[in-house]
Amino acid sequence: MAEKKVRKRWQPTRTNLVAGSMVVAGFMLVSLSWWFLLLAALGTFAPGVLREMGWLRDKDEFQLQAARRAGYHAFLTSGLVAFVLVAFFRSGERVVEDPEELATLFLAVLWCTWFFSMLLDFWGPQKAVHRVLIAFGSCWLLFTIASNVGSEWTGWAALLLHPLLTLPFFAMASLSLRWPRITGILLLTISIFFMQFFGFFRNNNLGLVTQGVTFLLFIGPLLASGVALLSVSRHPESEEE
Amino acid sequence: MKPRHDICNLVRRHRLMADMTQQELADRVGVTRQTILSIEKGKYTPSVALALCLAEVFGVSVEKLFQLNKGETDG
Repeated sequence: MAEKKVRKRWQPTRTNLVAGSMVVAGFMLVSLSWWFLLLAALGTFAPGVLREMGWLRDKDEFQLQAARRAGYHAFLTSGLVAFVLVAFFRSGERVVEDPEELATLFLAVLWCTWFFSMLLDFWGPQKAVHRVLIAFGSCWLLFTIASNVGSEWTGWAALLLHPLLTLPFFAMASLSLRWPRITGILLLTISIFFMQFFGFFRNNNLGLVTQGVTFLLFIGPLLASGVALLSVSRHPESEEE
Repeated sequence: MKPRHDICNLVRRHRLMADMTQQELADRVGVTRQTILSIEKGKYTPSVALALCLAEVFGVSVEKLFQLNKGETDG
């Protein structure tokens, strides 16, 4: 029966839409006042609080388990970072040039860990990594296009050639579904290349915060994806439908 | 220390026998298709309530659907 093959695509729930809108609006309005960041916080954490209180029942038990495990992973990661920071600042007279950036970085570590962990738990390594790489490649694609238009216009050739740099991400997204372990090794290799490229292995002039942001934005998603793909069994099962 | 129990299930077998898709089964028991997929792959052990719902849909007992792992796997 043909209709048996019809599969519902993922659709955002009303809660996702409202919470997502609040997060986006919060971040857009920080240019007016940083207090609007609390709107983004409300969008991020309020659904979880309501679920824990039993007032919101928009997830099934498997989704709740994934969210709770992700919360635990975020606690482990950000807790460890917090301890390192406390030890660092209390072990001597430390001066950080951009304390607000450091606070933002801490928040980003927490959120990125939670998000990636939830994707892994809910979709499994292959599908999660596939979508992370697509998202990562798309962000880079938009960035390369945006940086080549407007005031920094350098000609059509640059506009057409620079986006080609994002092709490997889409290629690896495709490869991850077919050959997860090989793609995992490739991603780890690329991560090490990026770490070398950004000077993580030598004494560079990048500050602590800049290094953290660089790691989180450029290397973190690739490294985490590579590790996740290496955990896939030799004969990954298909989803069937 | 508690012994660790692996649980295998015959959800996929019963679903195919009932000629249902994962989405149809998910709709019947009120969960997402991803949840059914994870149960069938043995990556997620459902709650007693969900196990009872699944057993009810297939018209079998929970023990027929979920068993302590004795080497047999499904899916």
